[in-house]
Amino acid sequence: MSILGTVQSHTVVRVPDKAHASMAPFVLLLVELAGGRRVLGHFDRAEPPPIGAHVIADAGKETPVFRVVEGSS
Amino acid sequence: MTTAVMIAGVGSTKFGVLPGRSLQSLAVEAARAALADSNIPPSRIRSVFVGNFVGGIMTGQELLGPIIAADLGLSNVAAVKIEAACASSSAAVRVGHDLIRAGAEDVVLVVGVERLTGAPRDALTTAMTAAIDQAIEGSAGLTFPGFWGMVMARHMHLYGTTREQVAAVTVKNRQFGCGNPLAQYQKPVTLEEVITSPPISDPIRRYDCCPATDGAAALVLTNEVLAKQYGASAVRIAASVLSNGPARITDYDDITTHDGTVRASKLAYEIAGVGPNDINVAELHDCFSIAEIVDSEDLGFFPKGEGGPSLLGMPSARNSKVVINPSGGLLSKGHPTGATGCGQLYEVALQLRGRHPNQVTNARLGLTHNGGGTAAAVSVHILESR
Repeated sequence: MSILGTVQSHTVVRVPDKAHASMAPFVLLLVELAGGRRVLGHFDRAEPPPIGAHVIADAGKETPVFRVVEGSS
Repeated sequence: MTTAVMIAGVGSTKFGVLPGRSLQSLAVEAARAALADSNIPPSRIRSVFVGNFVGGIMTGQELLGPIIAADLGLSNVAAVKIEAACASSSAAVRVGHDLIRAGAEDVVLVVGVERLTGAPRDALTTAMTAAIDQAIEGSAGLTFPGFWGMVMARHMHLYGTTREQVAAVTVKNRQFGCGNPLAQYQKPVTLEEVITSPPISDPIRRYDCCPATDGAAALVLTNEVLAKQYGASAVRIAASVLSNGPARITDYDDITTHDGTVRASKLAYEIAGVGPNDINVAELHDCFSIAEIVDSEDLGFFPKGEGGPSLLGMPSARNSKVVINPSGGLLSKGHPTGATGCGQLYEVALQLRGRHPNQVTNARLGLTHNGGGTAAAVSVHILESR
């Protein structure tokens, strides 16, 4: 199962809290899923995709890790 | 039957890095100054509300209400702490306001206090993220610079807001801070310095962020009769509103419009019988430079999307239509979270008395806007000179 959505916004967290210190810097995405629900997720690259990009992630993870849908941009 | 609610006295410590000061000593200094300013004997106080956000996490000290009341020599009072993240002390003012207005209390002391400096940066970041929903947002690694970074990126995308326009907010507020002896930063910065400062959470950079701050501010609230009886130089609270917005970033329909601010300000304007064009001076919650742009739009000072160019065109002029953050705001005066709401009301009260170091010409109506969490708890106050 996958979740598919559109990037609403993004940031690169460079000063994290203690729990995420080992991950930094990392990309956070705000993604609107098909159906309108919004989720926060990570991204599989160091630089964020453009706002409006279509992204996909495996379902079931607490924090999904998105990747750009091939051919969508 | 309700009565007008007055701010009869105001007091504040300096805001900044204040090593060696305890929460209690800061709160007592501000409270004593407010009591002296009001001319009202402390024996008239029956309730004390302390606004504080992370005292327990940062210093290990809780039960601030009774402890601060005891240190002030107030033994026969009800004293409690009120927490609404960065809006803690303005939420406390709302509670005190309602008790006075209803006639349940004659005199209420409200104190906001916080200690944020002296701890490692990751400890401070962790403490601040206590106001983020841990199950949904905290687990993903969202921080407050991260929240506002996403707001900024979206605002730039939707409205064409530029990096320079956002940086200009910091430049303006740092300039105001140079004239405020209470401000943490009293040194100007240039656009280039803001834009080239180290990245924190893209596109937010260091000089887009308010500092970590220690400090306290206090207000004495009373009714119109007692304010006159004691000859206090009082200003009237024309509206005191506390409203919730979306509690999580994923609950927003549009992260560039903060529903809590829109709701709170509309209700405040309605209660006060005024509109945004009537406000002469505003202290609003510029925890990040982009926040002043978003807030000023949501408060109705500028149409949505026009906050960037409007604020870029707004010099530090003290006679412009509405002067925003002449204290220096959170970006320059500082942001001792639990104390910030009372600190904003302190600043606007001085403006309406005509005694502010950055005095706004002919200030008659002032507004404060204070947000907690991801703009999840929002307070708007409108003050009127008498």
